[in-house]
Amino acid sequence: MVEQLKRLATGIEGLDALLKGGLVVGASYIVQGHPGSGKTILANQLACNHVREGGRVLVATLLSESHERLFQYLSTLSFFDAALVGDTIQFVSAFDTLEQDGLDAVVRLLRQEIARQQATLLIVDGLLNARSRAETSLDTKKFVSELQGHAAFAGCTLLLLTSARLDEGSPEHTMVDGVIELGEHLVGSTAVRHVQLRKTRGSGALSGRHECLITEAGLQVYPRLESLYSRPSQAGAQTLSWVATGVADLDAMLGGGLAEASVTLLMGPSGVGKTALGIAFLAASTKAAPGLHFGFYETPARLRLKACALGFDLPALEREGSVQLSWQSTTEGLLDQLGAQLLAQVEALGARRVVVDSLGAFGRLALEPARLNAFFRALTGELRARGVTVLLTWEMRDIFGSEITAPAPDLSSIVDNLILMRFAELDAQLHRALSVIKVRDSDHDPALQALSLGPNGISLARAFDGASGVLSGSATPPGDR
Amino acid sequence: MVPVACSVVRRHRREIGDGVNTILVVDDEYLIADILGFALEDEGYLVEKASNGRKALDALKEKRVDLVITDYMMPVLNGEELLQAIREELELADLPVILMSGAQASQGRACPGKFAAVFDKPFDMDRMIATVRELLGT
Repeated sequence: MVEQLKRLATGIEGLDALLKGGLVVGASYIVQGHPGSGKTILANQLACNHVREGGRVLVATLLSESHERLFQYLSTLSFFDAALVGDTIQFVSAFDTLEQDGLDAVVRLLRQEIARQQATLLIVDGLLNARSRAETSLDTKKFVSELQGHAAFAGCTLLLLTSARLDEGSPEHTMVDGVIELGEHLVGSTAVRHVQLRKTRGSGALSGRHECLITEAGLQVYPRLESLYSRPSQAGAQTLSWVATGVADLDAMLGGGLAEASVTLLMGPSGVGKTALGIAFLAASTKAAPGLHFGFYETPARLRLKACALGFDLPALEREGSVQLSWQSTTEGLLDQLGAQLLAQVEALGARRVVVDSLGAFGRLALEPARLNAFFRALTGELRARGVTVLLTWEMRDIFGSEITAPAPDLSSIVDNLILMRFAELDAQLHRALSVIKVRDSDHDPALQALSLGPNGISLARAFDGASGVLSGSATPPGDR
Repeated sequence: MVPVACSVVRRHRREIGDGVNTILVVDDEYLIADILGFALEDEGYLVEKASNGRKALDALKEKRVDLVITDYMMPVLNGEELLQAIREELELADLPVILMSGAQASQGRACPGKFAAVFDKPFDMDRMIATVRELLGT
């Protein structure tokens, strides 16, 4: 049996996910990044989390910066508790010792302080200054090695912070067990923070760059969803069952409803009734199987009004805990942050059905559009595995027209069911047309149906029998061919 | 920051040759020790510095000091431990010691009765000087 290494949780959920559970207890890590990249926030967030879990932390600075200024900045962050400072988190400056007495004296000082404070986590800020004080690279190596040795002997995890961009061959890198790099890159004119694990000795990790944010809560890391859920977190349902769409006529077309834990894509132009179908689907939620509306365009207030016009009482469903409306910004946020939020809300509610209105909003937040397909594949795979039946909407650009473009390459292979909605002109009347293009695991009615929306809900009826060209938007009646 | 008022303080006066008082500033953060040191020198005091409690004790054994201003959180020996050593090890019962500390650490941990005054960092330099003058009677 493979032995599991004991972990020290950073308290930063996404970072712990990248590290497969946290830092290895007793190991040494370099946190590197340019000034302002978030190293100090990361380290102090970790320190506060560690003491809340019963640990003791020694923060030693080799910098000339005042601790008081640091405390002032940290006091604006919610994780920081000043009462911990001087108690379970001790801050000491080793700058003077470094300057006056050199690296060996710093090692001696920190060895004494680890023992005196009974520290289980040592954070040394300002590794670059130690490097500057070293006469040769061997001295730097010796300094890191000795610190590592003393810390490990005391069962203390070591974190070395540096603003230098150390490469893989640097003496510091070769010595430590892990390297966490924080940085920022530009996408167009948008600056995006990222974290990358450049080295993780003796431990699995999620490689590559992952986006992060610094908020009032501190550093938030969002692992690339396709990396985090390259395999779904659970096995998922082993049997096939059906859930109602909330529209009886559509259930009939689908051969009894949608397969439970399936993903359906509803494509159509603006105003054709996608949101209405989403509301009907959501209104079929129960307390035992709640539904989540994860929307971007319609606010909860507008959704409630729209639902009321269709005869659905969303506020009553919200009150009894059957439905939750969650509105997201389309201009702020990161793609993986959004994915993480959706999964967290599903988890918190215990949602069994989800409406995402619309998928295009994810695309707008994607800084690397090439990732979208893998992202959607991972997201939908995870939702399926959690037993959630998903209805995704996609707004088609053209209100009329014969050309139908897929939202993302290969997306149709990701979804289980595909429903197309179009406006169609027939006999000087504008109709909403709906057709089921694809249904996995079931036979379905391929006929084009006319969709009606009204105070009694949504209904479908055959209105285009014998007509052709309906999906192009200009139908030709049977007698005109 | 407003200094925390202390209980009765017996002023420790040890006038040296020309009547200039010596103040020992103890802080592992050299910048704070330097800034405070310059301000005290501008007021005409002699200033000695130490980067931790142990070094401060060594200095006190070698030099005559009239007042100590110490940080709380320091390596080797913290401010409270330094005060205890001053009183018990060096038997300097009357030497006034001012505590300066940050992150609200001083409020909870320092005993106002033990220290001549307690300042939270960042402190008002004019108030610190005024307190020093009052304690030294200068």
